[in-house]
Amino acid sequence: MIAAALLSALLAASPEEPTRGDCSTDAVALSAEAEELLTGSGPRPAAATLARARELTRAARRGAPSSALSLRAADLAFAAGDVEEGGDLLAAAAEAAGPSLLSPPELLLLARRADERRRWHEAIRRYWDLSRSLAAAGKRADWIAARIRDLEVEAEAEAVAPPSAGPPIEARLALADGKRALAEGRLREAKERLLLALRLSPGYVEALLALGAVETRSGRSAAAVRAYKDALSLEPDRVETVTALANLLWQEPDRGAKEESLALLDRAVALRPDLRSLLRLSASRWAEFGDAAKALERLDRYLQKADPREREELASLRAALARRVRGVKEGGPSLAQVPAEEPTSKAVDLWRKAQVYVGRGDPESLSSALPLLAEAEKLDSSLARAPELAAAIHERRGEWAQAEAALRRAIRADASRASTYESLARILERDPKRFAEAVEVWRKAEGAGSSEALFRLAQWTESAGRRSEALSLYRRYRDSAPAGLHTAESVAAIQRLERRRKVETVTAVSGLGLMILAAGFAIYRLNSGRTFAEWLTLRPSRAQDVRPLMGRLRHEALKHGGLLLSDATGRLENGGDEVRRETAELLLARLYGESGSRGVIPEAENALSQLRSLAREDHVRLNLHRDPIFSWLLRGIRALRRARGSLRDIAESGRASEQVASRAARLLHRGTQCFRLASGAEIERALDRASALPVRVEALRALLARVAEEEGMKAPTLEPVGVLALHETLPPVRIPAIDWETIWRNLFGNALAGGRARGDSVRLGLLAQRRRDPITGEARLRIVLADDLASTLSPAQIRSRPADRGWGVIVELLRRNDGAFDVTAPPAPGFTKGIALDLPALEEPS
Amino acid sequence: MRRKTILVVEDGTEYVETFRRLAMPEAQVDFLPACDVQAARRILSERRVDGVFLDVVFDRIPAGNLCGNLEPLITRFAGDDARAFDYLARNQGFFLAHALAPLIPPGVPVLLAYDFSSEPARLAALKTRLPRLEGVEDGVPISKVLERLLR
Repeated sequence: MIAAALLSALLAASPEEPTRGDCSTDAVALSAEAEELLTGSGPRPAAATLARARELTRAARRGAPSSALSLRAADLAFAAGDVEEGGDLLAAAAEAAGPSLLSPPELLLLARRADERRRWHEAIRRYWDLSRSLAAAGKRADWIAARIRDLEVEAEAEAVAPPSAGPPIEARLALADGKRALAEGRLREAKERLLLALRLSPGYVEALLALGAVETRSGRSAAAVRAYKDALSLEPDRVETVTALANLLWQEPDRGAKEESLALLDRAVALRPDLRSLLRLSASRWAEFGDAAKALERLDRYLQKADPREREELASLRAALARRVRGVKEGGPSLAQVPAEEPTSKAVDLWRKAQVYVGRGDPESLSSALPLLAEAEKLDSSLARAPELAAAIHERRGEWAQAEAALRRAIRADASRASTYESLARILERDPKRFAEAVEVWRKAEGAGSSEALFRLAQWTESAGRRSEALSLYRRYRDSAPAGLHTAESVAAIQRLERRRKVETVTAVSGLGLMILAAGFAIYRLNSGRTFAEWLTLRPSRAQDVRPLMGRLRHEALKHGGLLLSDATGRLENGGDEVRRETAELLLARLYGESGSRGVIPEAENALSQLRSLAREDHVRLNLHRDPIFSWLLRGIRALRRARGSLRDIAESGRASEQVASRAARLLHRGTQCFRLASGAEIERALDRASALPVRVEALRALLARVAEEEGMKAPTLEPVGVLALHETLPPVRIPAIDWETIWRNLFGNALAGGRARGDSVRLGLLAQRRRDPITGEARLRIVLADDLASTLSPAQIRSRPADRGWGVIVELLRRNDGAFDVTAPPAPGFTKGIALDLPALEEPS
Repeated sequence: MRRKTILVVEDGTEYVETFRRLAMPEAQVDFLPACDVQAARRILSERRVDGVFLDVVFDRIPAGNLCGNLEPLITRFAGDDARAFDYLARNQGFFLAHALAPLIPPGVPVLLAYDFSSEPARLAALKTRLPRLEGVEDGVPISKVLERLLR
């Protein structure tokens, strides 16, 4: 209003006059001529007059520039409607002579002009000038302070780099190739691909981070620092970048780099307060840097949540720092500001302003930022950074649901930003129930190029027991972020997992070796050892010990089992609940010996155990599993043992399911079949094959001849007595050949000795009689050796002889083989007595 | 129809239990258990039986209750008493058949729990005293045994 009134007055005082000419260079004269021209043209000078006056004044300013002439020229310009030049002239006057030269309207005019032209700093300065001018005049203008605050935000916002657009697919492919090459150690190729990605998309943060990793691993730390700084300028809040850069700078020798590193580390702490290890690292580095106060302050913050063990570990460090503290506090170095760029849109402007508010961090500023971001999002839904920033604000305020929603909007707007996924995953991780969802988001973040995601996924897969996958992820993290936040942890994890893998490999190889050995041993055990028949063939004399044992096995197991099993199986299959229950009770008693009964299975196992013991006494390992007879018995026992649980269920519940009854019946049926195949008759035959001996008169004659020859005597004739024919086939007797021969050697020896004592040859006869035991009906063979010697011994006397020689040996061998001995009357004329041997014989074929 | 009676001579209760529970439980049969020769003799003298079942091995009763003359056995086993007793117990069914034969009516079937399938001549020899003596083959179910006893 003031400016308008001033201008009106000026215009009213400008009469239109003819011009004098432009040749004069005298500023005063020219100025005077202009004034004269205007004075003569009245309050509203004609346009031509005004133009001439402006020319004259311009010429005067060229000759002698002054603030007064500038102001006059400005007035004329405004009067002519040339606001642009008027403003420039006012500004020039103010610059030359200070703002006090200008009136408040002029100052306002300049302020608004700068405001409109987005020259924020100039606008702020002009408003400040106006504010001071009005204050000097005793006037208040509160609106000016508010406007200045807005302009300050605008000015700061201008310094914020605009968000980059999502990278094109070609850039993303180049990044993927580069990362693969990096993981495989092809650093040169990796760099080429990453530089290509950056040429295609200069603001591609993931590519810059990967490039930083390549340069770090190549030993070009300066180039790595540049790459990380570029990344940081594009995404200032990405903690991975901040820490990587901090670590790199810390390695630099100059103190400035270290200071910058420390500031970055503090920034990382502020960004991720949950990562307590950063605080500890910060404390130790500040201590190393020599600033005990800052080190102590960070250490104390770390110790607030430390456990007693950590406190104990750090107690000495803290004490040392406390001693060194002198109370000096330094501010951290500030980061260089990102160069301003031209605004790209209204939405971006709003986002920049919001960024400034967020940077201030106070609750009021955060509240101010949210509507700006909402507006920006509304104006440009593809501006992912707006909802992302809104999410950050919500996170700070603990509004997790809003933060999650904002991040999801950000992902919808730009699905290529790894940091957005990371933020979302961290929010989801807060709720244990959404862990799987969080993992899924971490996977997407990893797909978008997040190193942090690699580390988190590695941790998760390791805790899930997928160590091989975890190792691969840790390695990828180490390769892609050699100076990263978790590099040390990753390296440690890699070493740990590699150690474990080595141990597991050794264990697996050892285990496999042991298994092979065990399998080999089992195969050896299954295929080695002797069968029942082989053992008896080797030691036929064992037959007499084994026979009663086999009789018991046959009777108690095979016969009783057979009697029991078939009918019981049928009743279990077809009976009702009560019948099944009774049958099961009976089977439990009779098969397993429950309720004090004699059990078929314990009896059988006991007999088999004794059989094995006998074999062991002969240093023979009896392998019944490969025995054609006993293997069936073992299978039958195994089947019956497996039926026990089902039978118990049936007996106890009374209402067993069809399934249980059917299983029990099936196993019993299998046991029955196996027992049938383990033929008792076949066991007897095996015993007889090993120990039964055919009795042939010719063989006894040959033995007599050998004994006589050994004694140096002429062998007497062994005469068949009675119906015994020379070539008659007699039933085999159950006695081992060695025992048989020993008995006859002794008998012949005694007879020959008797003849020698008498002084002539002894007459010997042989009589054989088939007979049966009158009570048991078993077949026996009675063989009588007749002689013509005077008998002086009774059977009782013979039986009492020592068992180690002569008659005693004969008696003992007969006793062992279920045989009997007697001294009989002469079986035929010409003999004086008979020595009768009674032995069990095999049944002759009918 | 008259209920049938079967004398079961065994040193436990296993056969009687098995007969009662498994072998045609619906059949009208009484099973009379006897654990030694004296008990069997008493039953045979007091009751009419339709069949006799004899177990073979009696190793759970006192040696004094075993049927059979021990003297010749001790002689046979060269004075080895233990062996003679063991033989007697392991073959007690045969001794029982021998001792009870005079008390068993000729038409009454007698089943001895012994498999004669590989010793037919032995069975034939025993049948001279007990014409209806039969063995029990390994694997034969108890119901078949009862059928043969009731034939």
